[in-house]
Amino acid sequence: MNITLSETQQLIRDSIRTYLEKEVPFSRIRQVERDGGLDADLWQALASNGWLGLPFPEDVGGQGGELTDAGVLIEELTRRAVLIPIAETLASAITIQRCGAADLAADVLAKVQAGSMTISPAVLEQSDSFDVCEMKVTGGTISGKKFYVDYGAQVSHHLVAASDDIGPGLFLVTNDGAVAHESLSNIGKIPQSVVTYTNAPATRVCGEEGLQFLKRLARVFATVQCLACSQQSLDMTVEYVGMRVQFGRPIGTFQAVQHHCANMAIHTLATRFLTYEALWDLDRGTATDTQIAVAKAEASRTATEVPMLAHQLHGGMGFVTEYDLHFFSLRGKQASLAWGTVEETISAVAATIGEAEQWL
Amino acid sequence: MIHVDYSWDEELEQFRLDLQAFCAEYATDELREEMRAGGGAEGGGPGPLAKKVHDELEKRGWPRIAWPKEYGGGGKSPWFQYVMVQEFSYHGVPYGGLSVGSIAPALMNFGTEEQKAKYLPGILDGQITFAIGYSEPNAGTDLASMQTRAVRDGDEYVVNGQKIWTSGAHVSTHLWLAARTDPEAPKHRGVSMFIVPLNTAGMTVRPLYTMAGVRTNEVFFEDVRIPATSLVGEENRGWYIVANALDFERVSLGPIGALARQWERIVEWLEDNQPEKLKDAQVRARLAELKVDLHVLRALNGVNADIISNGRTPTMEASMVKVWSSELRYRLSSAAMDLMGRAGGLRDASGDLAPNDGQNEQTFRASPILRFGGGTNEVQRSIIAQRGLGLPR
Repeated sequence: MNITLSETQQLIRDSIRTYLEKEVPFSRIRQVERDGGLDADLWQALASNGWLGLPFPEDVGGQGGELTDAGVLIEELTRRAVLIPIAETLASAITIQRCGAADLAADVLAKVQAGSMTISPAVLEQSDSFDVCEMKVTGGTISGKKFYVDYGAQVSHHLVAASDDIGPGLFLVTNDGAVAHESLSNIGKIPQSVVTYTNAPATRVCGEEGLQFLKRLARVFATVQCLACSQQSLDMTVEYVGMRVQFGRPIGTFQAVQHHCANMAIHTLATRFLTYEALWDLDRGTATDTQIAVAKAEASRTATEVPMLAHQLHGGMGFVTEYDLHFFSLRGKQASLAWGTVEETISAVAATIGEAEQWL
Repeated sequence: MIHVDYSWDEELEQFRLDLQAFCAEYATDELREEMRAGGGAEGGGPGPLAKKVHDELEKRGWPRIAWPKEYGGGGKSPWFQYVMVQEFSYHGVPYGGLSVGSIAPALMNFGTEEQKAKYLPGILDGQITFAIGYSEPNAGTDLASMQTRAVRDGDEYVVNGQKIWTSGAHVSTHLWLAARTDPEAPKHRGVSMFIVPLNTAGMTVRPLYTMAGVRTNEVFFEDVRIPATSLVGEENRGWYIVANALDFERVSLGPIGALARQWERIVEWLEDNQPEKLKDAQVRARLAELKVDLHVLRALNGVNADIISNGRTPTMEASMVKVWSSELRYRLSSAAMDLMGRAGGLRDASGDLAPNDGQNEQTFRASPILRFGGGTNEVQRSIIAQRGLGLPR
């Protein structure tokens, strides 16, 4: 047992952080937000630095890392509020690598790591339920709608949940002329669309097991994003209240302010433990759905409450868009909704009450 | 690459199995009954079954399994202590206690060879037990302002003053006493630490009964003469011992075990007595939220144990465990009573109608002390903010 990030992981974290601080100013985030797309240059930079290969085995050209490494990468990128489909593409590609046929996986992973292929999961339908999937594959093509597809219009491929003659599973669909988008505008300003497929060619990737794995992994990656928004909000707040002077002293000397910060830190630290533990267990097939739901529930409420306390302590300064805090309060709430809200995850935990408990 | 690792190695897994086997044998209903019956207001010493558990644990060397070898411990990773405390706390097995957990290591670190030889064996086999004499009527959260005086007179010190919240003083053999030896010095630099037998002439122990049902005390000192050899560490350096007392059991500040078991028993009681209620979505959601809160406590405990096992001392993280565990105990107890309805408010004395032997109403009554005691949660939050996050004082 050793939950402190290894030296290698700290090195990865620091090099990503340094790169982002140097190359990706928040003015660039604002520009990408205004343009309504994704940061394609940053994506290419991630590819050429080898970061897109972090969680993949060496025999498919990856860095031989683990899901916790992917967690470090996603956390750092989210702490910079960048607009790229990193969680979406990694969740999809890792699912294909672990649950799909070897030749398909080799092809996908080569392209993903080269930066030429981006993938977003398309799971939800009009019901907005993770348990309902009515889309059918007939004659190798799909038709119908998927909802709330992050970066749906921007990515090169979708990993679509549907059923064919064999049964439910995931299908790879090229985002081309057979795929139409109605763009949505959400609280986190993450590009998102309702997608309409019209006889779009669909390649079967994996079955039910793969679909479940994808939902678990995407839920944990959203947990990482919740953590990142909370940690960033907390760190910004600690810095701000330490220098903001009112009544002749830094407001960080006031007990009321300190106690807000302490509460923020408690939830952020607990979320961090639960998040990386879930990644670690998921990697080894030892994560339970309840464990993941517990982690996401805590992360979702943390990613809502911590940034909002950050606003309380920043006052007007944090409220204006030329300051950077709103990125994390809004993206934090978006992440808290993604792949399992507080209500959905608490319900998932509630569903298993009465079964044997595993506390340690 | 070397990565974070959330697994337990085989030795630790095996130890956990050993612990569970031990609990299966010794954590009996009879033991719990003995502890409940014997734990009344006056809180006597351990009964025969508890004593047997103590002896069996000593035989296995478990109480000090993670202490350094040079302090007579087993030298294992703090995770062993962590797992042990979680299991014992879950199963209601009596373990540790502050004499063994805090006083013994402090003596090992600050005591003279004579003091170590005189007290340590008795502490470890349970013959010598300590009450803590820190707080005074006017020195609570501001502990360093304590006024009880110890004045050197030849080969003796003469103690006058009063301590309060001296829990266990009526059943312990000794007092671990902090008293002022230099009233002129700044308040942190004029305090010294002493060991005083509780039967010393001039000491009066008066009971204070709490709403939790357990007794605490105040202790009065009237020209109490103790030998100068009672001094622990250097004169006027006692505050250093209070603040830095070696504590090999920091890993067990707020274990999840007992609270997790309390949560399970609430579910079990509802299953047996209010099965329709347990199907109610709102009831289940409330239980689920508490379960998430329990895992938050597990996470904070895990962070704490990780820091300790990496050879560092947790400050902010230990305070987080203290704050969260104490507030969760209150929330859990209160929610349990809500979920159980009118029966939830029944005390143990109501007999079979009292849910879970009145556990939830009892822990509700006891919950305030965990929040204000041991450094109030307000002080803990300031520690988190100042020492952990680095906010200005």
